[in-house]
Amino acid sequence: MNFLNWLQNTPVAIFVAETLWAYPLLETMHTLGMAMLLGSLGLINLRVLGYKRALPIIGTRDLLPVAWIGFSINAFSGLMLFTSDAVNFFSSNTFRVKITLIVIAGINAAILSRKLYTSGGDDAALVALPGVKGLAASSLVFWVVAVICGRIYAYYPYYSY
Amino acid sequence: MAFLQWLETTAIADAVRTIPWLYPALESAHYIGIACLVGGIMLIDLRLLGVAKKLPIATMVTLLPWVWAGFLINLVTGGTIFIYGATGFGTNPPFQLKMALIALAGINAFLFEIAARRGRNSWVIDGQAPAMVKGVATLSLILWMSVVATGRWMAYV
Repeated sequence: MNFLNWLQNTPVAIFVAETLWAYPLLETMHTLGMAMLLGSLGLINLRVLGYKRALPIIGTRDLLPVAWIGFSINAFSGLMLFTSDAVNFFSSNTFRVKITLIVIAGINAAILSRKLYTSGGDDAALVALPGVKGLAASSLVFWVVAVICGRIYAYYPYYSY
Repeated sequence: MAFLQWLETTAIADAVRTIPWLYPALESAHYIGIACLVGGIMLIDLRLLGVAKKLPIATMVTLLPWVWAGFLINLVTGGTIFIYGATGFGTNPPFQLKMALIALAGINAFLFEIAARRGRNSWVIDGQAPAMVKGVATLSLILWMSVVATGRWMAYV
C-alpha cells in the first residue's frame, strides 16, 4: 500500500485526477483502444471458429498490429487512470479480476497466434490444429468479461468486492 | 423540458434508479456495443484505406451487420440510460454534440452501404477502393472516434 500511496501522489497521478480534460481524454483512448483490440482479435477468433471462411487465415495476421496498437493505447491510458486512484483500484476485487483476465487473455492470444501463424498449411489444416478452436473461444470470453469487469468497477467502486 | 421531466418519472427510469445492478449492466452492454460498432466499422474502414490487403474487401464489407447490431444494442442501452437521466443528458452540450455526430456518422454509413451495394461488381471485387470511398472511410473513423470522445466528455460536464 505504501507504493500505491506514493504512486497516487506522484505529479502524473495528481495531474490525471485534477485536470478537467485528462480523465475523459484517457477514458476516450481506453474505449477506442478496446474497440481496436476486441474488433481485431474478435474477428481472428471468429474466423478460427468457422465464421467468414472467405477470409484467408494468413491474411488475418495483418490484424495483429491493430490489436497491438489497441493494447498499447490501453496499457498506457489504463496505467495513467490507475495512478490517479491507485489504492482504490487495487483494493477492488473486480479490478483484480479484470487485470488477471487481461493477463490470461494476453497469454491465450500469444499461444493462439503462434499456433496459427507459424504452423503453415492451408486454412482447413490450421483451424483443425489441436486446441486452436478452444483458444479462440476462450479468448472471446476473456476479453468480453474483462470489459464487463471494467464497467462494473466504475459503478461499484466501493462495494463490488 | 416537461417531456424530459416526464421521461424521468416513467417505469423504465424508476427501474434504472432502484435496481442496483441495472446501470452497470446497461453500461457493460453499451461497451460491448461499442466493440461491435466501432470495432466493426474500424476494421472495414482500415481495410478500405489499405490495411490487411490479403483480406478481400468483398468479405470485409459483409461485416456491416456487426456494426448495425452494435448500433442497435447502443440505441437500446443508451436510450434506457437517457430516460433515467433525461433532464441532465438532454441539456448537456457534449451529449447534444454526440447525438449530432451519430446522425452524421449514420448518414455517412448509409452512403457507404449504398456505395458498397452499387459497387458489388466493380471496386468491391477488385479490392481497390476509389478515392471517394477512402474519403468516406476516413470520415467514418473520425466521426466515430468523436462520438466516443463526446460520450466520455459528457460525463464530466
